[in-house]
Amino acid sequence: MSALILLTVFGIIILYLGFVNNKTILAPVAITGLVATLILSVKDWNLGSKYFHDMMIIDNFSISFNVSMLIITILIFLFGINYYDRMEHHVAEQYALMIFALTGAFLMTSFSNLIMLFLGIEILSIPLYILAGGKKSSFRSNEASFKYFLLGSFATTFFLFGIALVYGASATFYLPEIKNYIAQFHGHLPPMLMVGLLFILIGVAFKVAVAPFHFWSPDVYEGAPTLVTAFMATVVKTAGFAAFYRLLGMGLLPLPGPLEKTLWVMTGLSLLVGNLAALRQTNFKRLLAYSAIVHTGFMMLAMLSQHDSSAAVLLYYTFVYSLATVPLFIIFIHMKRASLGLEELSIFRGLYRQKPWMAVFMTILLMSLAGLPPTAGFLAKYRVFILSISQGYLAISIFAVIMAVIGIYYYFYVLREAFSESNSPTPLVINKLNAALIIVCGTAVLLLGIFVWSVPI
Amino acid sequence: MILIIILLLPIITGLLLLPLKNPATVRIIALTAAVANLLITLGLIISVPSATYSVNWTHFMGTQFTLGYDGISLIMILLTNLLFPFIILSGFTRSHIKIPVLNFLILFTQSSLLGVFLAQNAFLFYIFWELTLIPVYFILLLWGGENRRAITLKFFIYTLTGSLFLLFGIIYLFTLTPGLHTTDFSAFNQLHIPAHTQNWLFWILFIAFAIKMPVFPFHTWQPSTYTMASKQGVMILAGVMTKMGIYGALRFLFPIVPEGVLYWQNIVIALCLTGVIYASVIAFRQSNIKRLIAFSSMAHISLMAAAMFALNVYSLQGLLFQVISHGVTIVALFYLVHLIQERTGTLELPQMGGLKHVAPGMAILLLMAVLGSIALPMTSGFVGEFLIITGLAKQSLWVALIGGTTMILGAIYMLYAYQRIMLGDSNPAFSKVQDIRVLDYFILIPLIAVIFVLGIYPQPVLDLAEASVNSMQKLLGPAGEVISQLTH
Repeated sequence: MSALILLTVFGIIILYLGFVNNKTILAPVAITGLVATLILSVKDWNLGSKYFHDMMIIDNFSISFNVSMLIITILIFLFGINYYDRMEHHVAEQYALMIFALTGAFLMTSFSNLIMLFLGIEILSIPLYILAGGKKSSFRSNEASFKYFLLGSFATTFFLFGIALVYGASATFYLPEIKNYIAQFHGHLPPMLMVGLLFILIGVAFKVAVAPFHFWSPDVYEGAPTLVTAFMATVVKTAGFAAFYRLLGMGLLPLPGPLEKTLWVMTGLSLLVGNLAALRQTNFKRLLAYSAIVHTGFMMLAMLSQHDSSAAVLLYYTFVYSLATVPLFIIFIHMKRASLGLEELSIFRGLYRQKPWMAVFMTILLMSLAGLPPTAGFLAKYRVFILSISQGYLAISIFAVIMAVIGIYYYFYVLREAFSESNSPTPLVINKLNAALIIVCGTAVLLLGIFVWSVPI
Repeated sequence: MILIIILLLPIITGLLLLPLKNPATVRIIALTAAVANLLITLGLIISVPSATYSVNWTHFMGTQFTLGYDGISLIMILLTNLLFPFIILSGFTRSHIKIPVLNFLILFTQSSLLGVFLAQNAFLFYIFWELTLIPVYFILLLWGGENRRAITLKFFIYTLTGSLFLLFGIIYLFTLTPGLHTTDFSAFNQLHIPAHTQNWLFWILFIAFAIKMPVFPFHTWQPSTYTMASKQGVMILAGVMTKMGIYGALRFLFPIVPEGVLYWQNIVIALCLTGVIYASVIAFRQSNIKRLIAFSSMAHISLMAAAMFALNVYSLQGLLFQVISHGVTIVALFYLVHLIQERTGTLELPQMGGLKHVAPGMAILLLMAVLGSIALPMTSGFVGEFLIITGLAKQSLWVALIGGTTMILGAIYMLYAYQRIMLGDSNPAFSKVQDIRVLDYFILIPLIAVIFVLGIYPQPVLDLAEASVNSMQKLLGPAGEVISQLTH
C-alpha cells in the first residue's frame, strides 16, 4: 500500500514541478519516485496484505506484475529525457499522467472486487486518453485520442453493465463470493449471470486489444506520440493481462462452456487477424500494433491453459515482450528523426551501414519478438507451448505454431530493410544514454533467453 | 571438455576477429582455427572412435546441457570440420568488404552446426538447429547475388516453418516423458508411443528435415537459393546444411517414431524417387551451371533420403559414406563453378565453350570433380551410391532401378555440361581467361584427393560408418523388432 501511496504522491509532485521552469529535473525526480516505489513494492513480498475491506489484496502475483511494469516505465522515462528535450510545454503533465496511469495499473493487478477493477481500469484509461492526444497540433494525434476515448468509454459501459448484471444475480462484487455463487450451478448459469460475465470479459478484452475488440489499437498506436505508444503497447498490455488473469483465476474459473469457447475463439482470431493484417503493413507503428495483437493471442493461450504455472509464464511473456518492444520504439524514433518524420518501414534502410551495432541489437530484439532462439522471446513462446500442449490443447497449439511462422516473415521483413543499402543515407544521431538503453535491453533479452528466469507466484 | 573446445573454438575465434582491421590477418586466424578444429576432430576419431561421451555442464530447463557423440554424429562432425577450412580458404581470393564480419559469420555457422551434431538433448538440438539459420541468413543477405532479398526471406521462412513444427513435436514428446519431464534423447528413445500417434507425429517431425535436405515436394526454396548464394554461402548450404536434415531424421525418426516410419516408409521412398527423377530431368534442361549443379545435388540427396528409409545395413552404410562423399564433391564442384564465373564472367552454358584451350588445369580438375559426382568407379561417389543401390535392391528391385537412374541421368547432364564448358572451339571472348592459380590448387587438390582416395580405399570411412550403423541398429531397436514381427 505504501508503494501505491508513494507513487500517487510522486505523480502529484511531478505535476507541481511543472511550475518550476526547468524540464531537466522532471525525469530524474520521476525515476527516483519509480525506483522508491519499486523498493517499497518488493518489501511487501510474501506479506499478502489486504486493504479496504479486502477489496484489494496485494499478493506476490500483483507485486511481480507491478515490478515488471515499474521496470518498463523506468526504461520509458529514461528514454523520455531525450524525447521530451524538444518539447517546450506540458512536459511535466506527460510524466505525471503516465505515473497516474501506472497507479491505475497497480489497482488492476491487486483487486479482488469488481468495483476496484473498474476503478483501476478507469484510472489507467483516462490519463491515456489525454496522453494519446499529446501532440496538440497533430491531426492524427487528436484523432487517436478521440477514437480511443469514444471506443474506450463504450467498452467501459459494457463492463459496468456486466458488473451490474452479475451483481443483480449474485448480490456481491467480491470475486471469491461470485466464484462460490457460480459453482452452485455446475456450469448451467442463469442467463442474466451469463450475459453479465460475457460483458465483463468483453470490457477487459477491449483493454488488452484481443480480436475482435482490437480495431482501436492500430489507429491509436499510429496516431499517439511514439513514447505513449510504447507505454500503451507494454505497460498497459501487462496491466490488462494481469487483471484478466486475476479475474479468471480468482473468480471465473472454471469458465462455463460457452464463455470458454468464446475466449478460445478470440485467441485464435487474435493470432490470425493480427498476423494477416501485419503482413500488409508498411507503417512501422501499425505493424507493431498488429504484431501486439498476435502477442495478445499467445498471452491468451498461456492464460487459458489453466495450470499452476500459467501466471509465471504470462508474466515472463509480457515482460520479455515489453523489454523488446520499448527499445524497438526507441530505434524507430531515431530513424524517424533521421528521415524527417516518415514512419514507413523503408526508413530502416541503411541502418547497418551507418550504425552496425544498432542493426545487430535490432536483430536480437526482432528475433526475440519473432521467438527465435537463443533469445528470451523463444523461451517465452516455448513455455507457452509447453503449457498449452501439456494441458492437451493440441489443435490450437499447432495453429499458434503456424502463426508464429507468419510472424517471422514480417519481423524479418523489417530486418531485411535494416540490412539493405540506402540510396540517400541521412546521418543518424543517437545520444549515449539512448544507445546504452538499447544495448542494455538487447543484452538483457539475450541473457534472459540463455539463463532461465522465473518468479514463483 | 574436448567437446566443449570443438564446439566453442570457432565461435570464440570468430568473436575475436570482429575488432580486427587487416583482412589478411583475419583470414589467417580464421583458417588456423578451422584447421585446428579439424586436427582435434581427427585426434578424437583415432583415439575414441565411437564411444558416447557426455559432459554435464549445467542445469537448463529441467534437463542438462549434454554434449556427446556416437558414430553418426562423428561422421557429421568430421564432414563439417573437414569442409570449413576449405570454405574459409576459398575466401582468400578476392577482396570482399567486411572480411571480419564474413569470417565471424562463417565460424558462427560452424559452431552452431557442430552444436546440432553434438547435442544429446532435443531442446539443445533445436536451439542449435535454429541458430545455424541466423548466420547463414546474413551470409546470404549481405553477400548474395541477384534478387537476394526476396530469395533469402523465402529460404528463411521455408526452413523456419519446418523448424517450428519440429519444436511442436519436441514439446509434445517432452510432455509424454514420464515423471519429471525431460528432453533428453535417451528419454525420448524409451518412449512407447501409440501407433496412431506415431503416424501423425512422424510428419510433424519429418517436415523440418525434409525441407532442409530437401525432399520433393519441399524443395522449392533450394535451386534459387543456391543460385543466388555467394561462393561460401552455397558451399555451406550444399556441403553441410543439407546433411543436417539427414542427421536430424536419423536422430529423431527411427528411434522415436519407428512405427510411423514403417507406416509411411513406402510413401516417403516414393517421394524421394520422384525427387530423383524430377531433379535429374530439370537439371538436364538448365542453361545456368550453378542451377544445374543445384538440381544435381537435389537428385543425389533424394537418393540418400530414399536409402535412409530403405532401413537396411547396406543402404545405411552407403548413406553415411555418401554424406562425406557428397559433401566433398559438391563443395569442389561449386568452387569450380565460381572459379569459372569469376574468370569468364558468365554462368550460362550457351555462352561457354573451349575453355580447356586457355585453362587446361581447370579442365582437368573439373573433369575429376565431375567424375566424382557421377559416381565413376574409383571415386568415392561410386562406393557410396553402389552401397545405396544394393540396399535399395533389398527393399525392392524397382526402387533400385529408379534410384539407379540418378547415376545414368547424372552422367548424361554432367558430361553434357562439361562438354559445353570445356570442349569445342575456343571462344574468342575467353582468350584472356587465366588458368587456375596456386590458391585454387590448395583448395581443389585436397578435396579431389579425398574423392579419389576414398574411392580406392574406402575402408576407414566404412569402418566409421559401420560403427555408426551398429549404433543406429541399437537405436532402431524398437523398429527392428517390429520389422522382425512383420516378416515372420
